[in-house]
Amino acid sequence: MEGIDLGNAFAQSLSGLGVPADVARALWLPLPMIVILLTVTVGVIAAVWGERKWSGMMQQRWGPTIIGLGGSIQGAADGVKLLIKEDIIPIKADPWLFTLGPAIVIIPVFFSYLVIPFGQGLVLSDITIGIFFIIAVASISPIGALMAGYASNNKYALLGGLRAAAQSISYEIPLALSVLAIVMMSSSLSTVDIVEQQETLGLFSFFSWNIWRQPIGFVIFLISALAETERAPFDLPEAESELVAGHHTEYTGMKFALFYLSEYANLILASLIASVLFLGGWSFIVPLEPLAALFGIEAANPVFQVVNALVGISVTILKATFFVFLAILARWTLPRVRIDQLLDLGWKFLLPVSLFNLLLTAALVLLSNTLKTTLPLYLPLVIFVGLVFVAMSLQKRPAAKPTAARA
Amino acid sequence: MTFSEGVQLVSFIILTAIVLGGAAGVVLLRSMVHSAFLLGLVFIGAAGLYVLLNADFVAAAQILIYVGAVNVLILFAIMLVNKRIPTDRPVFSPRNAVTGLVCAGLFALLAVCIFQVPWQIQEPVAMNTVIEIGKRFFSEFLLPFEVASVLLLLAMVGAIILAQREYIPDRAEGEPEPLALPERPRDEVDTTPTGRR
Amino acid sequence: MNIDLAALNAGALWPEYIVTITLVVVLLVDLISGRKASWSLPYLTLLGLGIATATLLPMWILENPVSFLGSFTADPLSVVFRAFILISAALTVLMSVRYINQSSLATAEFYVLLLGATLGAMLLSGSSEMAMIFVALELLSITSYLLSGYAKLDKRSNEASLKYLLIGAASSGIFLYGMSLLYGFSGGQTQLTEIAPRIVDLGFPALLSLVLVVAGICFKLSAVPFHQWTPDVYEGSPTPVVAFLSVGSKAAGFALAIRFMTSAYPGFSEQWQTLFVLLAILSMVLGNVVAIAQTSMKRMLAYSSIAQAGYVMIGLAIGTQEGYSSMILYIGTYLFMNLGAFMAVVLFSLRTGTDEITAYSGLYQKDPFLTLVLSLCLLSLAGIPPLAGFFGKLYLFWAAVQSQAYTLVFFGLVTSVASIYYYVRVVKLMLVKEPSPQVLGYSEAGDQDGIQTLKAGMLITTVATVVLGILFPPLISLADTSLRATPSLQQVRTATPVSRVSTGAEAPADHGR
Repeated sequence: MEGIDLGNAFAQSLSGLGVPADVARALWLPLPMIVILLTVTVGVIAAVWGERKWSGMMQQRWGPTIIGLGGSIQGAADGVKLLIKEDIIPIKADPWLFTLGPAIVIIPVFFSYLVIPFGQGLVLSDITIGIFFIIAVASISPIGALMAGYASNNKYALLGGLRAAAQSISYEIPLALSVLAIVMMSSSLSTVDIVEQQETLGLFSFFSWNIWRQPIGFVIFLISALAETERAPFDLPEAESELVAGHHTEYTGMKFALFYLSEYANLILASLIASVLFLGGWSFIVPLEPLAALFGIEAANPVFQVVNALVGISVTILKATFFVFLAILARWTLPRVRIDQLLDLGWKFLLPVSLFNLLLTAALVLLSNTLKTTLPLYLPLVIFVGLVFVAMSLQKRPAAKPTAARA
Repeated sequence: MTFSEGVQLVSFIILTAIVLGGAAGVVLLRSMVHSAFLLGLVFIGAAGLYVLLNADFVAAAQILIYVGAVNVLILFAIMLVNKRIPTDRPVFSPRNAVTGLVCAGLFALLAVCIFQVPWQIQEPVAMNTVIEIGKRFFSEFLLPFEVASVLLLLAMVGAIILAQREYIPDRAEGEPEPLALPERPRDEVDTTPTGRR
Repeated sequence: MNIDLAALNAGALWPEYIVTITLVVVLLVDLISGRKASWSLPYLTLLGLGIATATLLPMWILENPVSFLGSFTADPLSVVFRAFILISAALTVLMSVRYINQSSLATAEFYVLLLGATLGAMLLSGSSEMAMIFVALELLSITSYLLSGYAKLDKRSNEASLKYLLIGAASSGIFLYGMSLLYGFSGGQTQLTEIAPRIVDLGFPALLSLVLVVAGICFKLSAVPFHQWTPDVYEGSPTPVVAFLSVGSKAAGFALAIRFMTSAYPGFSEQWQTLFVLLAILSMVLGNVVAIAQTSMKRMLAYSSIAQAGYVMIGLAIGTQEGYSSMILYIGTYLFMNLGAFMAVVLFSLRTGTDEITAYSGLYQKDPFLTLVLSLCLLSLAGIPPLAGFFGKLYLFWAAVQSQAYTLVFFGLVTSVASIYYYVRVVKLMLVKEPSPQVLGYSEAGDQDGIQTLKAGMLITTVATVVLGILFPPLISLADTSLRATPSLQQVRTATPVSRVSTGAEAPADHGR
């Protein structure tokens, strides 16, 4: 399973031009960061466009139409507008923290993209602690929110910042536990290993995707990730009816743009992680390598490698887009929860369920290791489908009280 | 010096500056909130030092626990209490001078100590630290690892019991006060110094 | 790397498993049956502690004491201290039943935390590896902080808990720093016995780590000058908690001190003995002198416990076989007399709602039993013959005389005489003076469930205080056997005569052997 090592290839091609190896490596260092910055920015513009268009569809209106084809570069135009707007620091704000806040919110998000694999070898750094790195780095962002909220010297901003931090640390735990269950199955923290573990069934690798083995974990992950990214229905930190705009309230211009950027970058990141963890990352519904082997094409064939890489990238992005769409769907479907409902859901429901899921997974992994078959790993699917059926059959009964309709 | 050694040296210098400067700031800054934020910076710097020592898992755990949990908790406490502390205390008070002297003395002791010890220096080995840590936890450090789980359970029980809202029934005159020591407080001495509100 | 389960020798920790199981059972019973079963929880706890003690006894002398690959050493020394801790926990339970009910504090969690503290203390007295020592120490400390703040609507309790937490955290930090230095000096060893040969030639750096470690341990022993937390914590915490802190927690601290010093610093015995001589003298003098001025019984007992820790440290400071065995004996007697005194204080404060010393005057006319118990325990603490405390002190001083530590003996005798003043003052108040208003309003009418267990506990401790004095000769031989069978102490006695080149302070001549 040898992939393409971009860093080495770059260094080799430069040394072919007579550049010393050390200098070549030094030149390579900033490249991934620039690539991340550009991709994320483009991704955010696309996501904003998608959100506005889809929201428009759901509300039977057009959304942006004027700038670009179907309003497609509306996001870029907004970005330029924010860049040239006046940057205001309120007179009683704490100027240092006020400026640092947005930066601290956005930097961890960019860091997390380092370990997202887009294909075999198409990952900027395949470190052994992969997914744990994302979880760890993501825990820095709440500090930025707190900083922005405090520095604004505005009670709504402070409340928003505190809410953001409370929400983020509450949902980090079920999120991490659901990820841990997957880590147990792949016995590795590396994102690349996690994807490869989902390609183990040859042509039928579709059925080894973690969504089939970890349906409970998948639901927990979706809910927690939605809360972590502070998207509706969990957008309490900026609940406009209560807190104006939360910790963004006092921000204008580029600093506000950074918050905006980080929000969508975070959404895309969460979608990418979800597709890597649960939908087999870069692997196509029918994996290409065994398919190619059927037609007698070798895996080392350069044309095949390029095609494989392109398919990998597209598939990853498509899967992520699906999750972005889900988030937008949730935004226009579910009403915003109250803060106590939010904390109750996190601590009293998701936490116990995710602990149970972790225990169950551990037991099943042990069982499947002793039986030398992966069949026991699908037991959670059976449980999950059963639970859904029970829930649906309960739902059909006429509700006793109209308030009990939404569980 | 190869390229990677150069990078390491530069990173080390930067990280050390972050840790030392941050720590000094934590102690010297007037505003409690600023100190708390700088504490987070110190934790991140320490995590960077761990990375330089090839301890990537420990570094990530440091960020997750200290920055993501401990520091956020500290910030929460400070921001919820939100007490404005008068900032007109002089920097060079006798108390600070004594503290500085003690710190300088400790530093001198430790510095002498560092130069006297024949340290056994191991070259950092690249390995999968996660697997290594797991193996150690389940062999040499099995007992502490298991006891730590009891410790966490009890800490959780204790935190809940302290934070739990109590239902306090109305009590008749003369009945002992609930959730308090049965001993009466001694003659009330006004412990709040006048002038401090 | 596969480890052999038999190599773990996990059976040596059965008492600890039982305590853990009891802890979980108490938690679950409370969770499932709620208030209905809350009366049974203290008895469940007692049962668990009893079974744990029963499993501990056959482990008196194990063939192979090393368990969990060196994390824990179940040698007779640890067995003695674990037994002390179990007994003190059981007696604490006896005195808590009524106390908890009357202050309407949450029942189950109190016993759970107490069991946790017991577990931590037991593990601490057997730990022989630094990671284990630290985890056990934190288990003991964190549960102690929680327990001392248990009366959470009482400002004094909050203050006690906060002070204890802050000073405790600082001392844990200092202790950890010392241990991290040891880890570095020894090239990455965490086993105490592995560290010793690697730091023998280090001189000053090893002494620095020694000072840090001793400072950390002395916080648990509340030895002067690490005692500042003691009076406030003792005054503000619920009294049963104070009783456990003053006996169980201290016993664990002494076990840790003996093991750490003899296993990790056998090459520096002169230096650490000097340190403990100083600490012992300071504790005896300050504890006894300040105790005289106290008006609150709990505060007086706090300072008295500082002083008593000073006496126990005499045994550590002389560092001989007799020293250690007299130390164990004294802790054993101190356990009963101190817990007895605290039980009497609990009973008195439950009935009158005060712990002022003056309130005790004339108590004899109203409650002779309580007066008897408190008088005997206080007199024993003062070292009046023929009570156990007298023989304990006698043996300690005798051991000190044998190793020519005359300074220690001198300070011990002088401060003992001073201590008689404040102990006897209370006894005199109770027997001779006219009754105080609190005593006049004294009634046993408010007595409800739980008083009987408290009285039973008082009876046990008083009988032990009286009888142990008579039983002393067999106890001495018992202590001696336990020490002879403890390998780490054998090691130190062979190691001490070898004079090391010490770069630090030279040991004063008063305790040279």
